[in-house]
Amino acid sequence: MHWDIVTKNLWYLLWGTKSTLQIAGGVLIMGTILGFFLGLLRLSNNPLIGYPTRGVMEVTRGTPLIMQMFFIFFGLPALGLELPKYPAAVLAMTLFAGGNAAEIVRGAIQSLPKGQTEAAKSLGMNYSQTMTFVILPQAVRRMIPPMMGLFTTLIKDTSLAAIIGVFELTRATQETIERTFASFELYLTAAFIYFVICYPLSLLTQQAEKSLHAA
Amino acid sequence: MGYKLNFSVIWKNLPLLLKGAWLTVEVSTGAILVAILVGIVMGVAKTSRHQFLRFPAAWYVEAFRNTPLLIQIFLIYFGLPQIGLKLSPFMSGFAALVLYTGAYNTEVVRAGLEAIPKGQIEAARSLGFTEIQTIRYVIVPQAFRISLPALSNNFIALLKNSSLVSVIGMVELTFIGNDLTAWTFRAFEVYGAVTVLYLALVFSLSWILAIIERRIRLLI
Repeated sequence: MHWDIVTKNLWYLLWGTKSTLQIAGGVLIMGTILGFFLGLLRLSNNPLIGYPTRGVMEVTRGTPLIMQMFFIFFGLPALGLELPKYPAAVLAMTLFAGGNAAEIVRGAIQSLPKGQTEAAKSLGMNYSQTMTFVILPQAVRRMIPPMMGLFTTLIKDTSLAAIIGVFELTRATQETIERTFASFELYLTAAFIYFVICYPLSLLTQQAEKSLHAA
Repeated sequence: MGYKLNFSVIWKNLPLLLKGAWLTVEVSTGAILVAILVGIVMGVAKTSRHQFLRFPAAWYVEAFRNTPLLIQIFLIYFGLPQIGLKLSPFMSGFAALVLYTGAYNTEVVRAGLEAIPKGQIEAARSLGFTEIQTIRYVIVPQAFRISLPALSNNFIALLKNSSLVSVIGMVELTFIGNDLTAWTFRAFEVYGAVTVLYLALVFSLSWILAIIERRIRLLI
């Protein structure tokens, strides 16, 4: 065991961790925005809007993220859309996050009693008023725990971007292993760093779930 | 760009792609079955009265749920040989899938067991059921029914996650897709076809699981 290799290269791994958190955070924000759009479109009464949205959600949620990354990074250049690895990974992850966030948004809105919408309508509110003042304030509360869970998933899934060469924690670990050959120590350290980030997040998520059920 | 889409590469190599899809089905089915066992054993351990069973189970769940599957695959395949445990790509990938999904299954089984009111167990015992009979006739049927939808989600996640084992050279659908792209340079067509195949697999699995859920609801 050569744990001194870990201490010597810790800064490099932490530099990768910073990149992991930046990517996951950025993707969470963009994915949530996309998720709200998709989720609301999905609930549209117009089948010409509802069904295609559902199709987009099924594809992003029903296929492996790595396939979406490969398709965007290696496949899209065939259509003349050549993206560098970093934007390609972020785009793939945003679509993936958007599809999952849309399902969270849909679930939260549909979990509200129908009477809420009916009451708002009978008070003379139009669609956007009903959404802004009645439905979303209640639904957003229910979205918070699963969205936190999605953030944990995104931090873990950022590791997939390493496969197409994006620099983040997993890639930083691989590069260090290429120089030092200490794969056991370094992968274990990387796992530990991921754990230190994700475990508190999982605990917070559980806490948020509990306080939601208590309310 | 002088690139013209040419889907004939898909038709020509369809048997190969379908073989890849079948390998993914085999690996996923095997891993699902073993991960159920892991989930049951660890789930029971996590609800145990004994701390020496509860603690390891709890740490197993947290360790495997809060680290990326990819890192687990790398750690098992590249890291373990360094401490003398050398596994083939197949065994490493399979073990990682089972351990990762097993951790999620453990939580589902635990929640299923804890959802059964204590009074039911007390009632069964006071009716003269033995401990085994209580488990067989009172706890398992209900816990299974409660757990099934969440387990189904884990199985579908496993099917998608099985694509990751291609990175250490385990042959399945993604691996074959990568190979085919390398020979033909038809990334758009090949990855498009592989995506469609995954979608078909995921839909089929959710359909089968929905049927099983309905059957079991009628049965128990």
